[in-house]
Amino acid sequence: MRTNKTWAAIKSKYSIYLVLLALFIICCIANKNFATINNFSNISRQISVATILGFGQTILIISGMLDLSSASVLALAGVLSVDVYKMTGNLLLAFVVAIIAGVLCNIINGMMVTKFKAPPFIATLAMMTMARGAALLYTKGQNIYQIGDYTVFGQKSIMGIPIPMIFLVVILIITWYLLKHTTFGRSTYAIGGNEEAANASGINVNKIKMKAFIINGIFVGIAGLLFMSRNNGGMPNGAVGYEFKALTAAVIGGTSFSGGVGTAAGTLAGAFIVGFLDNIMVLAGVNSYVQQIVRGAIIALAVIYDIWAKTKRTKSKLGSIEKKKKSTKN
Amino acid sequence: MKKILVVTLIVSMITFMFAGCQSSEKDSKTDDGTKVTEEKDTKDADKPYKVAFIARAQADSFAAWLANSVMEEADKYDNITVDVFDGQASDDTENSLIENAITNKYDAIIIQPNNGEAQRPYAEKAVKAGIVTITTNARIDDIEGASSVDADPYEQAKVNAVAALDQIPENANVVVLKGPPGNFHADKRYESWKTEFLDKRPDVKVVGDEIANWNKDEAMNYMETWIQANDKIDAIIAMNDNMAAGALEAVKGNDKFKDILAYGVDGTAEAALLIKDGLMTSTCLQSAYDLAEALLDTANKLLTGEEEQIDIDIDCPLINSDNVDDTIEMHKKAGAL
Repeated sequence: MRTNKTWAAIKSKYSIYLVLLALFIICCIANKNFATINNFSNISRQISVATILGFGQTILIISGMLDLSSASVLALAGVLSVDVYKMTGNLLLAFVVAIIAGVLCNIINGMMVTKFKAPPFIATLAMMTMARGAALLYTKGQNIYQIGDYTVFGQKSIMGIPIPMIFLVVILIITWYLLKHTTFGRSTYAIGGNEEAANASGINVNKIKMKAFIINGIFVGIAGLLFMSRNNGGMPNGAVGYEFKALTAAVIGGTSFSGGVGTAAGTLAGAFIVGFLDNIMVLAGVNSYVQQIVRGAIIALAVIYDIWAKTKRTKSKLGSIEKKKKSTKN
Repeated sequence: MKKILVVTLIVSMITFMFAGCQSSEKDSKTDDGTKVTEEKDTKDADKPYKVAFIARAQADSFAAWLANSVMEEADKYDNITVDVFDGQASDDTENSLIENAITNKYDAIIIQPNNGEAQRPYAEKAVKAGIVTITTNARIDDIEGASSVDADPYEQAKVNAVAALDQIPENANVVVLKGPPGNFHADKRYESWKTEFLDKRPDVKVVGDEIANWNKDEAMNYMETWIQANDKIDAIIAMNDNMAAGALEAVKGNDKFKDILAYGVDGTAEAALLIKDGLMTSTCLQSAYDLAEALLDTANKLLTGEEEQIDIDIDCPLINSDNVDDTIEMHKKAGAL
């Protein structure tokens, strides 16, 4: 009985990691080229940009918001950063510019949400259009070529570990620490769980939301830098649809769209699930259209699971309240 | 404070809108139909012809290059002014823009379709309204009264495919990167590669075949995965330069693939540099400058009544290591490099 309970607890808490493990084993069996160091290095590089965006989305979604503009802001931050590098040859400056651009756009997002009470969906939708337009205007819609050493961020490795992977791990740790071990993290869960209750308990909701957007802006700026560097060019029309890849990673990783639930490690697991699936389907030569169906089905399953888990949690809470009531009566 | 901000915002928006209306009145004087008719009736030689260029999507790098080239070319004509509109890769937006251009009584409308058949009825509507209508990149075939300027996508791929017949070794492994399905140029270029190369070389094995939607990053991801599964890939067959460049990025510095051949289409600045560096084999120039030159020349001839209908294709020259310097020079002059 006790073993059953323990297993149920493990299953409920770590189900996403179990899914990832199962998928990993299936992929290893399905294709001999899957379980190689080089292939994992590829997958990690391929998922790095969207996952870094995903960590920003995770923080925002936990606090009851989201960012539809992340890919467009990534493009703007990226092209500005590439151009600054081409003008100055200074990698550090290029890095700083990418982050500043990401943060500034997200400050505007934050202002729209906190000061003007715009729904995050609408505020970031507006920013999505503006930032992409600004990137296209700045470059006249043309790619920037010959970016020289700027490619180090996206293409080089340190001790065999791809630099994007290092960024990914550092940002994972930062996100995990912020969510798990800071007042800011606890406040985001509280706001996402019940904003009014959080407000009543003395949390400065607007300040936390603004902070969440600023952190998201830093991540988006870094993602912009990595994307352009990896693709060896300043691409104003690059990363289209990456905001959805990021949202997918977060949602598959167990972040609940209704807020208050989610972890950084879950988002990483979600990103790896999508990455493994994409990789194995290409290795196996699965038809492109079928690949799209599979990706869609995975998102649908994740959402269904999210709703099912939430309903189960609510039922079990209600059940325990009932039990308490009964025992008090007795 | 918040109220003041909101009021300021509203006042600014109204001011901008008012200013916008004024400038559009100044530019077009087309806000009401009567005014336009009068203007048309009394059109004198000094008044330039108004041309609307409906671009497929400014976010598409080739479409942006074409739109910029059209604007530059228009500066050479004293009798023509061009307004560029962004179709945002959406049939609905593009069709609305054509309708607006008809309503605003442009003298000529150049349509770069998002999807030819979806824009066909609107192009026909423009012809019916007596407006000079030109379709470009890709043309919409068989619209009575409309003209067209394009490059032939089949030929663009064919010049590469014919060269590849001799260059790609026997029993080679190749990968194919395709553009978005349903896109006229994407489909025709692939059809050309299939007919002119793959069908003629049954010894060649396609070990990877994916839709990378013209995108460099998608192509790079696919190539990274393909090289895990295949020790030997001899050639990259891409339907545009962006995808060829992305695939090459994945094998950059990898000795196993140092002799890989790569083919694209467009003649972008990046492809020209890759050919110059010996990394890419060839591409076919789809020169936006040539298209723009032909478009403005066509518009001018049609508007001045010199010709009634024109249907032309620009050249599809193969660019390889022998002649790539000319293309690099062209891009340098245009400021792309």
